[in-house]
Amino acid sequence: MALEALAPLLTQIILYFAAFLIVTLSLNLEVGYAGIAQFGRVLAVLTGAVVAGAIPGRILAYMMGMPYGAEYANHLINFKIVNTITNELLTPNPLLSIGMFVFTLALAALLGGIVGFICSYPALRLKEAYLGITLLAFGDALQAFIWNYDPIAGATQGINIPDFYRWVGAGAPRFYAATITMLGIAILVYILIDAIGRAPYGRALKAMRDSEVAAAVYGKDIAGLRGKTLIVGGAIAAIGGALWTMYSLSFKAITFNRLTWTFWPWAFMMLGGTGNNFGVLIGTFIFSTARTLIFTYKEILTQVIPISPQWLEYILVGTAIVVIALLRPQGIIPEKPALTLKREEIIEIKERVRSRSK
Amino acid sequence: MLDVILTALAISSGFALAAGGITIIYMSTETFNFAHASMVAYAFYTVFVLNLVTGGSPYYYIPIAALVSGAIGVIIYFTINKWLLRAGATMVTLMMSTLGADLILYGFLNALAENLTQIFKRDMRYFLLAEQDILLFRIGNVNVKLIHIVSLLVVVVIIAAIQLFLTRTKFGIAMRTTVENPTLAKVLGINPETVYLASWFIGGAMAGLGGGILSLVMPGETRIGLVLIVPLFAAAIVGGLYSIFGSLLGGFLIGVSMQLGIYLLAQAVGSWINAYKYIIPLAMMVVTLLVYPQGLGALPWGKYLSRFRRFRGE
Repeated sequence: MALEALAPLLTQIILYFAAFLIVTLSLNLEVGYAGIAQFGRVLAVLTGAVVAGAIPGRILAYMMGMPYGAEYANHLINFKIVNTITNELLTPNPLLSIGMFVFTLALAALLGGIVGFICSYPALRLKEAYLGITLLAFGDALQAFIWNYDPIAGATQGINIPDFYRWVGAGAPRFYAATITMLGIAILVYILIDAIGRAPYGRALKAMRDSEVAAAVYGKDIAGLRGKTLIVGGAIAAIGGALWTMYSLSFKAITFNRLTWTFWPWAFMMLGGTGNNFGVLIGTFIFSTARTLIFTYKEILTQVIPISPQWLEYILVGTAIVVIALLRPQGIIPEKPALTLKREEIIEIKERVRSRSK
Repeated sequence: MLDVILTALAISSGFALAAGGITIIYMSTETFNFAHASMVAYAFYTVFVLNLVTGGSPYYYIPIAALVSGAIGVIIYFTINKWLLRAGATMVTLMMSTLGADLILYGFLNALAENLTQIFKRDMRYFLLAEQDILLFRIGNVNVKLIHIVSLLVVVVIIAAIQLFLTRTKFGIAMRTTVENPTLAKVLGINPETVYLASWFIGGAMAGLGGGILSLVMPGETRIGLVLIVPLFAAAIVGGLYSIFGSLLGGFLIGVSMQLGIYLLAQAVGSWINAYKYIIPLAMMVVTLLVYPQGLGALPWGKYLSRFRRFRGE
């Protein structure tokens, strides 16, 4: 009984957590591992969201013989087309739904990777904060473009997305399906990024972050490493954006601003521990729970604090960033030194070296 | 056309002042100050609220706005920046910490605007002060307002004053020494922390002045800081981040190309282009960073000038 009452709250927390975990992990790969000042995370996330908003619906509309060109994005007819697609094509066809869902994610990852590749042009030429501001400018420019250009994704009116989860059933089952799918993909991304961190590639990234010169001396291709990281990070972030859009069923460029999809993930990452995936998971979890609770209990909260929760959220996240930067720059769970061999093996090698030198 | 140029120049003046603030803070502390967005927004609101309460001309309150934003700078320095500088934090951490400060300030500004809306019984999230400006004279059918003159005067006076302060006063020279070489400055008995504090105050006050001027030429809203931070950073970066004179040039280049450029583009291709106004400063900033990261301030202006003189046969 109690669990049933809590279910909407829990799904809300998990959905938010899963989407932001994917994006924050991709950010951690670029910032925590590779030391690239990625202040344009929203660029790849927005790319994924636009792909999910503009492409699968058009393909399905074409299959059904409905308008799929610029008029598809017209808000006066878009919702009708999307409704027809969802009800007549996707609901009776689970296989088609799943197929389109996977196809959208793959396409989002591909385009996110291309965006990452484009970002590598400034990333190879600029350092630290200068790079950060350039990437931030890229993100803002894309957002301004999508927000104002109708034919792609409906500009200020936004666009609707066909429901790929509807075949499970309308209402609550749909939300559970979305929750489980997104959480599952988030866990997969976590495993992938953790594996990257342990692999020679991830260790090379950390070496590059700590000292570019030293890494280059050992024959690591700095330009290649940076480029690869931006491509992988961009692809993963785009998947996050696409998943969020396919869950929320509507897309508006204004919601993909630098605040929510660049600075929030930065705060989550800094809280948890930059360079530590488990820390990032904890940081994201704390923030997404806190955020959902604030919004759920806003009536009670506004009676105690005379600030509406929307603004309270800014103050809390801002305070968290400042406090972490001042008191615990390494985050809740600091990054662990990368041990490549087991402890016993290291001791054994040490012994061997010592006995040989005698 | 003339009215567009006048507005563009007034906006450019505001940009130049605020970008000068970003440059001063960056020069001395290596901090990219994201909180500049809020400093400008608080200046907008200081002018607006005081004007609403007392009914006096907005011009009286621009200096107060400068003091308010300067005080915000001092508070940020004492609570955040000082300790991070002592701990030797990286550039990215310094930048993130000012972002945190900006989010806090932004949250408070919005909460304040909501509460003031209930007190004043009018929507405080949007306002327009331009209509209270004083009409000086008319050229043809173009209104020349006080702000069009005042903004340019303020820029000239402030930039000249800061240039004099940095080159002629003892403390100004100490500031430049600290920027060049903090260790050597310490050896000479200069306390770098006083210099950091001064630059946060001056930087904040310049943001306030810029915001005060801008509040008379553009509509104000709580989001104004988020909107303006991009052209402001662009102006500072195009100017080269290492000279006040550079950010003056950067501010005018960004402001004029944004206002005038979009006007000319709109006449050429249609008014739909107006929506992409803020892409112009972004593009200019990215091109500057990738092509000539030293910025306008680093160009050898003296050499160009002497070449020009030689060209004229002087």
